[in-house]
Amino acid sequence: MNYFGKYSVICALCTVAFIGKTGQTYSQEIDYKAYTIFLYNFMKYVEWPANDGDFIIGVAGESPVKKELEQLAKNKKAKSKKIVVISVMNPGDALLCNMVYIPSSKSSELKAISGKVKNRSVLIVAEREGLAKKGADISFVVDDEDALKFDINRSVMDSHNLKAAKILIELGMVVD
Amino acid sequence: MKALLLTLFILEGTVIFSQETNGKKDTLDYYDMSLEQLIAMKAHGIPSELEELINSLIAAASRHPLSARESPSIVTLITEEEIRNTGARDLIDVLRLVPGFDFGVDVEGVVGIGTRGLWAHEGKILLLIDGQEMNDPLYGINAFGNHFSVDHIKRIEVIRGPGSATYGGCAEYGVINVITKSGNDLNGISVSALAGQMASAAGRRNFSLSAGKQSKDLQFTLGAFIGKTNQSDRNYTDFFGNTYNMAGNSDQNPTCLNAGLSYKNLSARWILDQYHTTERDEYDTITSKPHPIDYTSRFLELKYSARMGKKNELTITPKFNVKRQTPWETVWDDDSIAPDYSKTALRYTGNITASYNLTRKINFIGGGEAYWDKAEDNSYDSSFFSNGEKTVHYSNQAYFLQASVKTRIVNFIAGARADIHSTYGSAFVPRLGITKKSKKVHFKALYSNSFRAPSIENINLGSSIKPELTRVFEFETGYQLTRKSIVTANVFDIYTKDPIVYFYDDSLQTDNYYNYGETGSKGAEIEYRMRDKWGYLILNYSYYSVAGKERITDYAVPENTSMLLAFPSHKINLNSFFKINKYVGISPSASYIGERYGYTHVDSTGYTVAGKFKPVLLANLFITIRNLAPGLTIGMGCYDLLGSNYKFIQPYNGYHAPLPGPSREFLVKITYESRQNKKTTE
Repeated sequence: MNYFGKYSVICALCTVAFIGKTGQTYSQEIDYKAYTIFLYNFMKYVEWPANDGDFIIGVAGESPVKKELEQLAKNKKAKSKKIVVISVMNPGDALLCNMVYIPSSKSSELKAISGKVKNRSVLIVAEREGLAKKGADISFVVDDEDALKFDINRSVMDSHNLKAAKILIELGMVVD
Repeated sequence: MKALLLTLFILEGTVIFSQETNGKKDTLDYYDMSLEQLIAMKAHGIPSELEELINSLIAAASRHPLSARESPSIVTLITEEEIRNTGARDLIDVLRLVPGFDFGVDVEGVVGIGTRGLWAHEGKILLLIDGQEMNDPLYGINAFGNHFSVDHIKRIEVIRGPGSATYGGCAEYGVINVITKSGNDLNGISVSALAGQMASAAGRRNFSLSAGKQSKDLQFTLGAFIGKTNQSDRNYTDFFGNTYNMAGNSDQNPTCLNAGLSYKNLSARWILDQYHTTERDEYDTITSKPHPIDYTSRFLELKYSARMGKKNELTITPKFNVKRQTPWETVWDDDSIAPDYSKTALRYTGNITASYNLTRKINFIGGGEAYWDKAEDNSYDSSFFSNGEKTVHYSNQAYFLQASVKTRIVNFIAGARADIHSTYGSAFVPRLGITKKSKKVHFKALYSNSFRAPSIENINLGSSIKPELTRVFEFETGYQLTRKSIVTANVFDIYTKDPIVYFYDDSLQTDNYYNYGETGSKGAEIEYRMRDKWGYLILNYSYYSVAGKERITDYAVPENTSMLLAFPSHKINLNSFFKINKYVGISPSASYIGERYGYTHVDSTGYTVAGKFKPVLLANLFITIRNLAPGLTIGMGCYDLLGSNYKFIQPYNGYHAPLPGPSREFLVKITYESRQNKKTTE
């Protein structure tokens, strides 16, 4: 192995050693409270067809955002409706929801969920950037300066019979 | 509209949302934020000061700014705060703390820069001040030592690797991008006075002033710097045993004005840089009396950024620069002591760059640049350029292209630049970078070609000189240990083909340049950074070796095949600041410079003899007392506390003995800033 190779190995080992030695390390984790506040505002600025019952938010799989949404549900209402948070363990569960949140780790389920709720008034919000172009109504974007933004797809929203307020569309980035 | 809302939001101070606010009342308040307020939200909460630093956008590394952890270069970012806290006297004090960087002596008292063991003084590291290329077209050098003001600096982005694919032929081994304070940063005036006292002579007597203001779209700044110092108060002994004391014989007296004006997307910059020095060390034998050498530069830039498209996805930036530089100017009434040298280089540069964001993740940059050089010999003696005339002209055209693609897995950056010169031909330098930043870990794998463009005097004094070409591999990884600390480590391998080598023809008594052989180095650098409420600590270690590399005889150490002259294989830097209370802070900084080699004298047969220099510890301490009165700061401290007897060594076998640095220097600095609402860590 030449010197450059040796240095590379030393470099990699140093990194691994640091990772291994720092059991309680932490860095800037994703702030799901921020995501939740956005979701709450989506509830306020998106118009669903009139219906009775609670406002149900489904979270695909497991995600820390669920805990934050449950905290929200304890303290707030969605246009006077009680907020209920459920887990979406299979695409069919999405049919019970008014809004479905797809965490990054479950992005591959977008196709199945959007297929299941086709023409139904379910707002699909995806954590991963770019999914508003692939079937979600809204997807989050984190820019180079870490600001949280969102893409919005009006065509998908139309197909779900949902109407976004003008201010929401102005603040988002339209991708349709 | 969005920007306005965001500004109002921040001004109202409501963006205090953080992961630490778990209280129910706070949470409820945040849920009720208006939608407009949400655009100030950070996906990862409020960043720590360290996170703000390591994730800040670096402009110098590529034409498309990326965060320090993602940019396709090995980067060191130096902040205004770090410079101020250390009490740095000049750029030598600042840049010495950068991993791999060190200094050596050229000739005539001039101190130049080296990196990763390689002498980079002549046109291999580009120094930019507010975008102006300070390296002169005649030799490509920058003379360091009480030259450039550090009081005007907002930040310095140091690219510790090649930059030619972006910046051309003066950025073969690195780029130092100095950005001074803007009108918005200053919003008033700032003045400072520095007085230093060495062991047996006066040290610095520097005064600087900055003024600036931003009013809506209009912004202006003015910086002024005037100073005076002895380069050293110690004895210099030449190769032949002749000695003189440098006090009173080694002036370094700068005068600089820097003015900037911008209105919307139009900006203008004008810089005047006059550096008056005296010296007696010459090339080899000392002179009988001090010898003035002046460096005068003037810069002018006009730039406009036109943004087009629905989402401003296309930016076209035309830029026009003029610089007029007269380096090494020696007009002497007695040519038996030193010959006259007075040549002026005038360069006109036009550049147009287009940047297009195909998507948020895909960016293309392309453009062209052309410059036209005219050099004039102002002296009345019989010296001429190689064309037999008192004037010589050259031109160069360059084309560059860069694509950057961000994917979920990695970021790709690919670019290339082609230069075509009217005399020495062409150079083509591609680069490729792959970077990735995840939560805690980042890595960079970089492959870059770069080149050194022969300077006007290289062409004039050389024979069929051509660009030297360099290929560099770099790999960096970093790990964020906590929100307040990070460690980064990198390795590098540099190979330079046909380096432009200087030699002095003793029989003809002439300077010469030629392309000869190969050179390079390899090594590693590691840095630990911590920032907290109490202050910060930066500790780095750098190592290089030339074992297994081809070496140029004049740069080689006869008795050590893994080192090159002047530069230590091992170097450790410490830069720290501790906040004692609201007003008082203390900044210990130090450089441990490992064993070095350099030529020191001639033996009885006239051959130069190399010697080993013991490791040196340059330890410094600076104390700052802020707000003694509103806006008034007093700093005091000492550089080279231990009296290390540090010397700048010549990195080639050029008959110049090691040049003593300043002795222990006590400093007092008084600063007044009219602006009171600046965010600082102190």
